[in-house]
Amino acid sequence: MNYKRKKLLGNIWFYAGNTLIAIIFISPLIWMVSSSLKPESEIFAGMNSLQTFIPKSASLKNYMEVFTRINIMKFILNSFFYVTIIIILDLFINSICGYALAKFEFKGKDLLLTLIISLMVLPMESIMLPLYKQVADLNWVNQWAGLIVPFIAKCFSIYMFRQFFVDIPNELLEAAAIDGCGPIKTFFKVVVPISGTVYATIFILDFVGHWNDFMWPMLVATGEKIRTIQLAIQTFFGSKPINYGPIMASLTISAIPMLIMFIALQKYYVEGIASTGIKG
Amino acid sequence: MKTKTRKKKYEKRAAYIFVIPAVLLLFAFLILPGISTIRYAFTDYNIMRPDDINFIGLQNFINLFQDKDFLKSIWNTFHFTIFVVPFQCLLALGLALLVSSRRRGVSIFRAAYFSPMVTSMVVVAILWSVLYNPNPNNGLINAFIVKLGLEPIGFLSNPKTAMNSIVFMSAWQAAGYQMMIFLAGLQGIPEEQYEAGAIDGAGSIRRFIYITLPGLKNVIKYVIMITMIQAMKIFTQPYVMTKGGPQNATRTLVYYIYEQGFQSRNFGYACAVATIFFVIVISMSLVLKKIIKAD
Amino acid sequence: MKKKLVCMVLAATVITTALASCGKKNSENDGTSADGATKVTIWSPTDEPAVEEWWVEKISEFNEENKGEIEISREAIVRADSYAYEDKINAALTSNDLPDILYVDGPNIANYAANDVIAPIDDYFTEEDLADFVDSIKVQGTYEDKLYALGATESSVALYYNKDMTDAANIEMPTKLEDALTWSEYADIAAKLTTDTVVGTNIIMDQGEGLPYVLEQFWISNHTDFVSEDGKVAEGYVNGEQGIEAATFLNDLIQNGYANVNPIQKEFHNGNAATMLGGSWEVATLQNEYPDFNWGVTYFPVADNDGENTSPTGDWAACLTSSSKNSEAAGKVLNFLMNKDNVASYAKAIAKLPTRVSTYDSLPEYNEYPLSLFKEQSMNTGSPRPRTPSYTVLSPGFSKAMMNIFTGADIKTELDQVAADYEDDYSKNYSK
Repeated sequence: MNYKRKKLLGNIWFYAGNTLIAIIFISPLIWMVSSSLKPESEIFAGMNSLQTFIPKSASLKNYMEVFTRINIMKFILNSFFYVTIIIILDLFINSICGYALAKFEFKGKDLLLTLIISLMVLPMESIMLPLYKQVADLNWVNQWAGLIVPFIAKCFSIYMFRQFFVDIPNELLEAAAIDGCGPIKTFFKVVVPISGTVYATIFILDFVGHWNDFMWPMLVATGEKIRTIQLAIQTFFGSKPINYGPIMASLTISAIPMLIMFIALQKYYVEGIASTGIKG
Repeated sequence: MKTKTRKKKYEKRAAYIFVIPAVLLLFAFLILPGISTIRYAFTDYNIMRPDDINFIGLQNFINLFQDKDFLKSIWNTFHFTIFVVPFQCLLALGLALLVSSRRRGVSIFRAAYFSPMVTSMVVVAILWSVLYNPNPNNGLINAFIVKLGLEPIGFLSNPKTAMNSIVFMSAWQAAGYQMMIFLAGLQGIPEEQYEAGAIDGAGSIRRFIYITLPGLKNVIKYVIMITMIQAMKIFTQPYVMTKGGPQNATRTLVYYIYEQGFQSRNFGYACAVATIFFVIVISMSLVLKKIIKAD
Repeated sequence: MKKKLVCMVLAATVITTALASCGKKNSENDGTSADGATKVTIWSPTDEPAVEEWWVEKISEFNEENKGEIEISREAIVRADSYAYEDKINAALTSNDLPDILYVDGPNIANYAANDVIAPIDDYFTEEDLADFVDSIKVQGTYEDKLYALGATESSVALYYNKDMTDAANIEMPTKLEDALTWSEYADIAAKLTTDTVVGTNIIMDQGEGLPYVLEQFWISNHTDFVSEDGKVAEGYVNGEQGIEAATFLNDLIQNGYANVNPIQKEFHNGNAATMLGGSWEVATLQNEYPDFNWGVTYFPVADNDGENTSPTGDWAACLTSSSKNSEAAGKVLNFLMNKDNVASYAKAIAKLPTRVSTYDSLPEYNEYPLSLFKEQSMNTGSPRPRTPSYTVLSPGFSKAMMNIFTGADIKTELDQVAADYEDDYSKNYSK
């Protein structure tokens, strides 16, 4: 009886406390969504009461305005496109490199590994000026290549893959070799299928990182052709006519794809992010 | 014997095939621009005069250390890092403890605490630049502060509070991410330890200090390290919210690189800033790694 | 099997190179389009929907007329609230990526001309044509006696006021240029109209070019300027005694709470500010989007004790880049953009004053209040921003300094810094 009461009390605490904290925590986002549903004149009226979080007369007018003024769906798809291509190429190119560093013997292997580990800390921000110049000299400004190619190979990904593959028992690989598999075939037939976690980790990290990236797209994407959603939002924020309702609507719209991704892949998200903490 | 050497040969060939794409890309888009950064740092390259680049030795670096804006930007970057790391990590740990239970519906709360992360830094920066408005008639947070009977705060338009306002917002935005890492760490602590603690009559605070914290030690170290390195690279917040102002209070190193390079056109000078930035980050991560490896 | 895998690795490399080469192929500086027409590229800032529509319509009109010969394509570049557009031009300069026709903000023309980024355009216009343009836009586009830029519109800024609020406070706003408010009258009105929920005025357009554009008038009206006439000296001008007076006056508006340092957008339109220093384009916004709003507009305030009557002018203008490979075709496009009909329709779309005198015949609204007031200011009191190649240092320096002052920094120190940075850049790069 006592135990049951204690448990009930604990549950009440848990749900009530979390609900309250969660509401306070996301209140800025609630205000954002609420303002996106309000007419312009209502947004800054009645700021001093809780009324500001609930629109008196909700309408989707601001959303309509966003859709008529900018091709926001295109920018969302642009983001999806470039992030997906980066991820696919990253997973492929860096995993094979990491595997070679983990399991193959070849000249210069140790040197390469040291190089990759030391380059891992080199921040992209410190090389952005010459990198921009180089990409521009290749005529990649406003081209997909400019957004994608510089970010395919990543020391961090190679290192993560290598750390994962090192732990795969050699017996498994030898068994495959006895079955007549060459080293390359062994990798794709035996190693890849059992390495879901590390691929998921890199996938999530890449997705979060590049989807949210702002600085590089800002430099490379001047036109609309490859404008990413983050840039589109910032552009919209600075383009006349500046009204807060449509701005809040555009912010809300831009968050929806990631939200859907997160809800659908929550399990992998948690695993992916968490495993960096345990592995690293 | 013969098959073994053949196998070796295959392996070698496979190794090169596997390694070459990544190596080529890294060379072209990481090492090459890295070398250029250092090379340009010793020149007077101005964007307007691409045909007239002169080697000027250490002049850029000498000028840098007399450049008040630059010194301020180093200071600002450290200010941001030193404040945001503990704040964000504690917030994340607190949130992780709140949602570490396996009760039904807990994933809704996890999603809520993660949601600022989902909305991206640009979105959050734009939203908070509106929320932070110094006039209580226009800014939600000041409206709340005035309601409590306090004086409104200048936030982004006061040089004393601008950087801390960015710290607060950034921690709020990203804490969900570290919360996920802590959560995994918490779940890695065996249930039996807590049960044994409960039998010994340890209260929840004692259990936290003697079981949870030691169990999380490695995770905490890792989180602090990545948060610190991440914090050093701050750019989006000052770019979207303050343009480095007011009174240089939020001009960070990366923002200064951008500003010198693309606004003041001093490409060479900007590369010198970038070189110093790079040295700071590298030495910081080396020191951090040493500390982590120490025990 | 092994071959297949080798192929996969190769395929990945091929994809990369393919991306690379497709980057090359679509390059905008190529010069010709698929059907052999000469391609002319234009950069101009993103703008209100009406202006964007104007561009779409005019480009398709031109491309239709010149099918197979010239094809225009325009890139709308983000302008946002600061110097994002100028940053983009700088970035493009690192790799020679500029378009054929470049729209630049008026005061930057001298800088681009001095650095050979843009080329003279005298040859592409007949004398007759040029005579039709108002002087201010030609003066703005001229550097060392050559014309480098022409714009379709001129701008002007005046003091808007909320008529309900001024009426309630029994304030009579001037209706004649010679009666324009003095600074102290302006400050008094702002003080009177400031309440708990409404600020007296709004003086900050943005934290970029908007600050020097509007606020320079306070220097000029007080019988000084940012820099000397020949552009060589800033010391004693921007930071001279009269300059400091101007900055002090502006700072007092902020510090006394009569104006917000960080105003929300449309502060005036939504009744949160009683007055506003705003551009002629606000007339269209107010008439179209706030039809029930009771407002008026009066002349730009002048300094006390015989201040000079002055108002901002200058506007975005089109230039030819020196790197253009199709300058003949680009000149033709320029001619098209600046012809009488297009100047009139563009001015209408962007809600600014047209620069061709003859277009006023087709725009009767400029003979009536409120637009007549802007026309009057533009013709009689307009002062261009300094035409100096170091304006690109002056402008960000000045806006940074003013924002610092408004947030508590010392006025003299900040303005001294502006003067020093300006003279440093000028003597380093442009004094021969």
